[in-house]
Amino acid sequence: MLPATAAALAVLAVLLAWPVPALLARAGWTRRDPLVALVCWQAVGLAGGLSMIGALLVHGLAPWGTSVPGAAWALLRGRPAVDPVRGDHWVALTLAGVLAVELVGVLLLSWVRTTRTRRRHRALLELVVRPAVDVPDARLLDHPAPVAFCIPGARPLLVFSSGMVAELDGEQLAAVVAHERAHLREHHHLLLLPFVAWEAALPVLPAAARAHAAVRELVEMRADDVALGSLPGPAPRRTLARAIVAAAGADGGGGVPEGALAVTGGGIRARVVRLLDPPAPLPPPARWAALAAATLLILAPTALLVVPAL
Amino acid sequence: MASLGELERALMDRLWAADAPVPATTLREELADRGVALTTVHTVLTRLEHKGFVVHDDERPRRFRASASRADHSAELMHEVLGNSGDRQAVLARFVGSVSQDEARLLRELLDGADDAGRG
Repeated sequence: MLPATAAALAVLAVLLAWPVPALLARAGWTRRDPLVALVCWQAVGLAGGLSMIGALLVHGLAPWGTSVPGAAWALLRGRPAVDPVRGDHWVALTLAGVLAVELVGVLLLSWVRTTRTRRRHRALLELVVRPAVDVPDARLLDHPAPVAFCIPGARPLLVFSSGMVAELDGEQLAAVVAHERAHLREHHHLLLLPFVAWEAALPVLPAAARAHAAVRELVEMRADDVALGSLPGPAPRRTLARAIVAAAGADGGGGVPEGALAVTGGGIRARVVRLLDPPAPLPPPARWAALAAATLLILAPTALLVVPAL
Repeated sequence: MASLGELERALMDRLWAADAPVPATTLREELADRGVALTTVHTVLTRLEHKGFVVHDDERPRRFRASASRADHSAELMHEVLGNSGDRQAVLARFVGSVSQDEARLLRELLDGADDAGRG
């Protein structure tokens, strides 16, 4: 029979693998406070991985003792099991190991790969484009397609194409710079990394793709919010919305390759709607409730693992 | 003393401007105003070779040329930026993706509608 702890962790793992991400992705409140929503997504991802591996560990280690740390120690020291070890215990332990190695491995691999590609992009940029005198960390790339992006890292770079600069006025350009700087300052690429990695690691899990898409959208909304705070002018919201629409709609005289048009406009529309007609911010009690739920979500599987199995 | 990045750019500018492989000695002469030694030129060329921007012929090991034109490098970068695969998206944070013509029209209508509401 399964101990109650393993069952509880398994239930939690199932909830976090599908219903919880589905609900959070569909929830309307996340647009009112992207930062709190991002914290919740990180908690869902972390707790999901913990409970999935934890459930298998608790079940697989059961013959060696009632607490996971104690039983793992006993197994590693080669002590004999207290109860008879069946095939399903070995299967659970193997699955736990495979899953842990895959999740952590893919995360590391993603990290290494993206870092390498960023370094290559930075090297290319530094070579092809001369830095602007007034904005040393910005590069102007001569290309008709309207593109602005930042390359995160130890030496971040802001990159604008000449097509983008032609499309925007000075205020709009400042809004785009503020938006990209917000990404860099808050290290949004680190918030995205686990979701990119886990989508690659668990392609069978539809929630992984949904979570990735939701986090990507929230990161953009958060950067919009931060950018608004630093923008001068009478109507920063409208300026930023205009910049988004101008950049998304310009085709740069056919300079955009085929595949680039496949981006769905849903996320961009949501950003524009949110800027033009801002939803009321989340009231503090709701904010704290969401943050408490996120904390609890991480503490629950941790406690179940560390506290001796029931 | 010029920075390494500045030297790399200066060398590449000259290699891109030349039609044939350029000897390192010629490159040093062209950079004489910067006061760089031949060893420095070689160091920078080796760095650029490691990064894949510069190649040299096996028959004439002291002559160097750019592996691709400046425009090719820009195009390569843009191709990666404009691509949509998950990996590419993870590498950099793009301001907005491009959308279809219909979607662009919807967005402009959204903006115009808000402008009308603001005036009315």
